[in-house]
Amino acid sequence: MQLRDFFSQDCIKLDLEAEDKDEALKELVSLLDLDEKSEGILFKMLKRRENLGSTGIGRGIAIPHCRSLVVNRLRVAFGRKDGGIEFKAIDEQPVENLFLIVAPPLEVSNQYLPVLGKIAQFSKEPDVPERLAELEEPSEFMDLLEEKGV
Amino acid sequence: MHPQLELLLEMQDLRSQKQALKEQADEREVESDVFEVEIEEALEELDRKLEELEDRLDPSVQSTYRRVSRSMDRAVVPVLNGVCYGCFIAVPRSWASEAAENEEVRTCENCGRFLYYVD
Ligand SMILES: [Zn+2]
Repeated sequence: MQLRDFFSQDCIKLDLEAEDKDEALKELVSLLDLDEKSEGILFKMLKRRENLGSTGIGRGIAIPHCRSLVVNRLRVAFGRKDGGIEFKAIDEQPVENLFLIVAPPLEVSNQYLPVLGKIAQFSKEPDVPERLAELEEPSEFMDLLEEKGV
Repeated sequence: MHPQLELLLEMQDLRSQKQALKEQADEREVESDVFEVEIEEALEELDRKLEELEDRLDPSVQSTYRRVSRSMDRAVVPVLNGVCYGCFIAVPRSWASEAAENEEVRTCENCGRFLYYVD
């Protein structure tokens, strides 16, 4: 399983407009191109997950995630906000890079945790925050995943 | 989408989250190790939220929900290709078009679970 197989260029946004955490979650959800009701339900569920503990894992990276009936397969998105937003991250630093992961509750292929694990592993590489900051095109994000072998 | 069905979907998502934290060791481990979630506190919070949403269900929907959720792990299931994904029995064909937009709250005639139509 390769992380890059789950990303498509239209689910990558390098210039998020969001100014706060809620707006960022909404903007990420909008990249998945669901209907309005589903977007609303997903946003609420992601917020509820954040209430259990921030998904900001430090070094400017957050991985908001949840399971929801409104998707029928695993979906991912990536967003970058230059300058960062307040996210109540573990290290209390603003978050610039956000990886969204959503899976249906019944996911036969069982990719949710492996994908979550791979993104967490990728995020821990020393040069990744810096490399993500340098991206100019969504295609370069895909190239970076490939270069890192994830 | 029917507002009560929307509520039921939110509740089922919370139930999935709760079940994963409770019963799936690998998911619990990721949440606690990578994201530093306090599992016991999280489970309590999910229960509180579920109770709050349950209070917002209409009486008839609420009694069905209580009955179904007592006896089954999932109270709301998707309908995919005309099949209830709770019991894997086909739902009446005539429903599919009417309920395509999930404008009504329906339950499976076979297993009793609430149905959510997925494209
Ligand atoms: Zn059924």
